[in-house]
Amino acid sequence: MHTIRQYNRPIATLMSIVMLLFTLAAAPASASVVGTGELLTQQRADIDREDLTRMLARDDVKQALSDMGVSEQEVRDRIQSLTPSELASFKQQLADAPTGEGVVGIIVLFLVIFIITDMLCATDIFPFINCIR
Amino acid sequence: MPSVNAFRVAPAGAALLFLMIGLLSGCATTAHWPVTAQLDQTPSHQLDTVPFYPQEKYQCGPAALAMMLNTQGADVTPEDLVGQVYLPERHGSLQVEMVAAARQHGMLVYPLKPTLDDVLAEIDAGHPVLVLQNLRFGWWPQWHFAVVIGYDTQADEMILHSGTEKAYHEPLTAFMATWDRADNWARVMLPPRELPATAEPLDYLVSANDLETTGQLDAARDAYQTALATWSDQPAALLGLGNIAYRQQHWDEATKQYQRLTADFPRISAGWNNLGEALAKQGCGEAAARAHACARSLKPERYDDTTSATVEGNGPADCPVVDCPIP
Repeated sequence: MHTIRQYNRPIATLMSIVMLLFTLAAAPASASVVGTGELLTQQRADIDREDLTRMLARDDVKQALSDMGVSEQEVRDRIQSLTPSELASFKQQLADAPTGEGVVGIIVLFLVIFIITDMLCATDIFPFINCIR
Repeated sequence: MPSVNAFRVAPAGAALLFLMIGLLSGCATTAHWPVTAQLDQTPSHQLDTVPFYPQEKYQCGPAALAMMLNTQGADVTPEDLVGQVYLPERHGSLQVEMVAAARQHGMLVYPLKPTLDDVLAEIDAGHPVLVLQNLRFGWWPQWHFAVVIGYDTQADEMILHSGTEKAYHEPLTAFMATWDRADNWARVMLPPRELPATAEPLDYLVSANDLETTGQLDAARDAYQTALATWSDQPAALLGLGNIAYRQQHWDEATKQYQRLTADFPRISAGWNNLGEALAKQGCGEAAARAHACARSLKPERYDDTTSATVEGNGPADCPVVDCPIP
């Protein structure tokens, strides 16, 4: 166990470099054709965004948000600024959650708790939030 | 010190008890058939078009894949596939390799939603379904690929080509338990001119794009055409057709597809940008510049105005007129 742990950091570093290289390779230069995959990612993100925004209309979600003192418009704005991958991971968590109560819990957790911890500089999940330290 | 011993035994006993309860409750959950009108009409269905290969030791992956591909007319045996999908040191195959190998045979691989309904719908459409099962438990897994070829709601059974068993009748509850433990992984593999029964536009187009990015351009083109014939509201199908033509340096064809895209979906900036690229390759500098300007006005943050495509040679006399709808 101890020996495996020793390699955690170098492996993580290596993996992040590899992933960075892949992202760079995949990002098309501006003076060339836009790949089909890029359009599909965008369209998927648009649909995810619509789904999420539609969820805000649910009464239990509205109630949970107002209990936390977060306005619906604020959350709406934040959904607009989520990247496709953030949206996708959010959707995944929703899909894994049991129906009913769990959905509201995760919406509150993801949209509110992480936004607050971002503001407190404890996490750095949403790049659009300037932390207050 | 008997007291210490008693202390040590108690947690172990409790753990064992919990385990037993867990196992018992695991067995106690019975699975149910979905309630659909379709199932009332056809309470049982078995495909007889799926050939069967008994698996060699551990090699359920190559055998199952060969069955899937042969159904669609591809001429491969499990032995041909061993090198592509079998990892000797793992005694098995990985899902990604199964999917990649199918693509190399020109098949479109479509991921099903993790529900029994979708598996049954594909069977009804005549499509065998490749599934992953975990025959043991999460903490001691035994992964297994099998091909679902039918179901019988009256006998409460799924029918699979599995391992060394041809048309094995597996109780629904057992099938659901083992399939659930493999995250309900299920795929259909079809020639790109054929649409999966449960196909959704974006998911299907992503599968088509997987063919495009892995270099199966003919198959990808067929799949985009299929998408276009099925859903007229999907810009990605036209963009894909244009991009394949562009990649094959068929500039005329690429321009034609991008023009269709910009005419039908004028708000999609990618269409204008790519039209500009194709026009530049044709030597239509002025039209290319207009198309690029249009893409920039739609999405300034995506397209850099300092870079514009290099125009190659002198254009033909009949360069198209680019009419950007955005002022």
